[in-house]
Amino acid sequence: MIRNYFLVAWRNVIRNPFYSGLNVLGLLTGILFFFLIGAYVWNEYNVNRHLRNSSRQVFLRSVWKDPNSGPDITTFGPLSKRLKENYPTLVANYYRWDGITSVVSKGDRIFREGIQLGDSTLLSMYGFDLLQGDKVTALNDPFSAVITKEAALKYFNATNVIGETLSIQNFSGGKRDFKITGVLDDIPENSVLALNDANHNNIFLPTQSYTYFGRGDFDNWQNIILPSYVELREGVKAEDLAGPIQKLIADNAPVASQMGMKVVPIPLTDYYLQKDNALVKRLLYALSFTALFLLLMAMVNYINLAVSRSASRIKEIGIRKVMGGVRSQLIGQFLSESFILVTISVLLAIILYPLFSPVFSQVIGKAIPSLSQFPLVFLFIPFGFVVTIGFLAGIYPAMVLSAAGTVDAVKGKFATIKEKLWLRKSLVGFQFLMAIVVLTAAIIITQQVNYFFSRNVGYDKEFIVAAQLPRDWSPEGVAKMEAVRDQFASLPQVANATLSFEIPNGNNGGQPPVYRQGKDSANAIAMQALVTDDHYADTYKIPMAAGTYFQSEGGFDSSKVILNQTAVKALGWKDDGEAIGRWVRIPGSPINYLVAGVMKDFHFGSMQQAIAPSIVFNVKSGNTYRYMSFKIKSGEINETISSIQKKWSQLLPGSAFEYVFIDDALKKLYATEIQMKKATYTATVLAIIIVLLGVVGLISLSIRQKVKEIGIRKVLGASVSTLIGIFMKEFMIVVLLASVVAIPAAYLLMREWLNHYQYRIDMTLFPFVISTAALLLVTALLILVRTFNAARTNPVKSLRTE
Amino acid sequence: MLLELKNLYKWVNVGGNRNFLLKDVSLNVNEGEFISIMGPSGSGKSTLLNVIGMLDQFDEGEYNFLHESVHKLKEKQRAGLYKQYIGFVFQAYHLIDELTVYENIETPLLYQDVKASERKALVADILDRFNIVGKKDLFPTQLSGGQQQLVGIARALIAKPKLILADEPTGNLNSKQGEEIMELFKQLNNEGVTIIQVTHSEKNAAYASKIIHLLDGRIEKEEKLS
Ligand SMILES: Nc1ncnc2c1ncn2[C@@H]1O[C@H](COP(=O)(O)OP(=O)(O)O)[C@@H](O)[C@H]1O
Ligand SMILES: [Mg+2]
Repeated sequence: MIRNYFLVAWRNVIRNPFYSGLNVLGLLTGILFFFLIGAYVWNEYNVNRHLRNSSRQVFLRSVWKDPNSGPDITTFGPLSKRLKENYPTLVANYYRWDGITSVVSKGDRIFREGIQLGDSTLLSMYGFDLLQGDKVTALNDPFSAVITKEAALKYFNATNVIGETLSIQNFSGGKRDFKITGVLDDIPENSVLALNDANHNNIFLPTQSYTYFGRGDFDNWQNIILPSYVELREGVKAEDLAGPIQKLIADNAPVASQMGMKVVPIPLTDYYLQKDNALVKRLLYALSFTALFLLLMAMVNYINLAVSRSASRIKEIGIRKVMGGVRSQLIGQFLSESFILVTISVLLAIILYPLFSPVFSQVIGKAIPSLSQFPLVFLFIPFGFVVTIGFLAGIYPAMVLSAAGTVDAVKGKFATIKEKLWLRKSLVGFQFLMAIVVLTAAIIITQQVNYFFSRNVGYDKEFIVAAQLPRDWSPEGVAKMEAVRDQFASLPQVANATLSFEIPNGNNGGQPPVYRQGKDSANAIAMQALVTDDHYADTYKIPMAAGTYFQSEGGFDSSKVILNQTAVKALGWKDDGEAIGRWVRIPGSPINYLVAGVMKDFHFGSMQQAIAPSIVFNVKSGNTYRYMSFKIKSGEINETISSIQKKWSQLLPGSAFEYVFIDDALKKLYATEIQMKKATYTATVLAIIIVLLGVVGLISLSIRQKVKEIGIRKVLGASVSTLIGIFMKEFMIVVLLASVVAIPAAYLLMREWLNHYQYRIDMTLFPFVISTAALLLVTALLILVRTFNAARTNPVKSLRTE
Repeated sequence: MLLELKNLYKWVNVGGNRNFLLKDVSLNVNEGEFISIMGPSGSGKSTLLNVIGMLDQFDEGEYNFLHESVHKLKEKQRAGLYKQYIGFVFQAYHLIDELTVYENIETPLLYQDVKASERKALVADILDRFNIVGKKDLFPTQLSGGQQQLVGIARALIAKPKLILADEPTGNLNSKQGEEIMELFKQLNNEGVTIIQVTHSEKNAAYASKIIHLLDGRIEKEEKLS
């Protein structure tokens, strides 16, 4: 019996290539997209799950009362270690590291690298395997180094490099060799080796090297810049650490706990998905929903086409019934047809997966696992798909068709389809609704992204190039860099140059609380601190509202600071000029800072956040810097860059000139939004493909039916325009009705999305009108083409193939 | 008694008026009878046969099949009757286009869960009897009207029904083929199969033991043949 079901179903599939093709194309689109998204979600979900004892690995996250006060990825140096020492029954192991960026070289291969100074537990605690070297002793010697396979290939073109050396600079102008004692095998993504996008580390050094780099002692409670991890004992939950952590902080760092700083233990398996306001998780949800909806649209297509085709099946249904077939058997018959079509689609989706995954990787900005990377049990997924989708898509048409009355069926009546017309229309309406929503979303997201780049950032972002400098964080180092800066500035193609710790890419060094002298320090306001030289405002063309940008007769004065207008307002001055010459303080510091200038507000970071109150310190007061920024004259940019490069290797030998254009740095700032934009484009294209496939199917079936109704001869003549009129009216009304629901839905959805942005476009009618109009237009074109085609081909033929 | 119709009415409403398709039809059919239904086109012959075959509903009156009220039959029971008891031969031969001749004939056996080997034997047997062995792998659209009707009849007979309902079974056959079918019906009737057929042909009607004459949905007269 089953064999007979499938035989008949298969013959039906191949006898109606057009109809089957439409269905397979629609299902394939939905399923392929679902597979790609699924693979991506699986990949992201598995971050940190490959670690040894992954369920017991915990990350210690700092939570500040005012999130501007400090980074959340680091905490007190000694905390994790003391947890293990004081609570051995709870904590099995700990790992912490200090992240630095320095220049690493081997011969003429010179690169700036993210380096992790960390405990020797790194290799054993997470079960990281070494390709080369001894796991147990690799990080024992203070000047040993473990590097990734990637780094080994980069510097040595080989992986058997044990005993070789890499030369690494420190921040006081020194340089020394580190002996390679281990090469890490390829390790799946995790938050230990790569905590975030800015920390993809390839070189791992023992903690003891901290003195060489002039970094803080790991065992000092003042050192709060170490990302820290612990491994729990079996049966212990992350929350169980809350009490012990609280106690250790209260005992050792009372000031921090007074300031409302807490450390929250988070299972590493959750951490990746939840970090940055659950950015990854939200993206995964958004993508999964999109994939589900597209799949749903594809299933709706199947349902719609199957139900509308019932006319051609109704005779068969009747015959089967009078031969003693019961409804359940007929349902089985029709389900086998949907199983076959879904099977074909799933197989095609698997075949096309490797072809489309690179395209999709580009959209999503991350590699997607290849088929061979999936575990063997995933072989069951296609089967699950066939059964689930085949059933969900097939059951409704099967129920409708099998319920047809016997006599109607034997007489071959059309009655049943007419009755389901409203249903077909609402299903198509649902598809149009989805298409309008994604298209509107795509337009609004594009508008917002364009807005990021067109809105005045408050400084001149054109023709600015920035490069990281070798570090010598001492008064002499700064003096040298200022001299270097002046040399650069004297190049004919360079208009200006400036030395600073920050460039306007959203990453700044610290968030000190600031209050007005004479006011209560408890009301101090956390400010974004910037460290620059005197030329920053000139180079970036940041306009001043009052006072001057450091430059002063009488030489350098370390107490001078610059505020932005938001800071002035936050501190309670009515007028920018009023602040000039007044004093501000930082709690716990004896220094009185003199407000020398007030700069106009500019966007230091993403427009998602409001412009923060900012305070600028002079580079000579703290002696720390990272960047040299060049304002170049318009003209031959490549030539200018190479002349800067030449000068660079003269003035700063042994360091890499790795530059970025500021407008490119801004693109990185909005990477998530740009990615989202691409994702909505993809979803829009797919949604429109599916909805149009559905429309093509319905029109084609209606045409056949109408051809029969109207009669063969008439179709060729006047009736073409009548037919077009009928279809136009039918589908235009559906699109318009769909837009009535889609527009408020899209409006609410996008308002919610835009609300995440401090600076956003005003939603106008334009995106809504244009997306509805676009769908109307495409549908109309399709109807025209399809109807004309049908009219031109011999209608007798179309009657025969029925 | 096999089946019994008592004062049966069937109508359709056309613009507020009742348009009667069957009017006060009463009819008893005993097991082993051979009945022909005759009447002009549009007189309700097919309608009556469809009601008897429980393919169509009626509006008033009573209909008992094997002493059971047809109203009370569930879908499963009706399907059971179709499987075990009734074989249909349609006016417009009604074959499943996606199945070959062989598979069309085999289908009722599939619904009866007949074993594969037995199915093979039964189908081969009937193909032989109808002289269509050579056509068994063709699809219905590749056959002439007469050939399709033969397949339709073969399919109705394959499950050895005790009641055959045939709507103009010979309408599309040449007279020789028609005669063969009538001979076959006669032979089946002699073996105890009850047959009700609709026909326009006086000659074919004469094979029966009773002729029902319909006019405008009403039984005009019943004619007993010896
Ligand atoms: N469902 C229906 N609705 C309206 N009229 C019907 C319906 N079925 C049959 N008729 C009409 O009833 C009459 C009898 O039809 P039918 O039984 O097919 O006649 P015939 O004796 O030719 O087989 C015809 O006039 C036909 O048009
Ligand atoms: Mg008739």
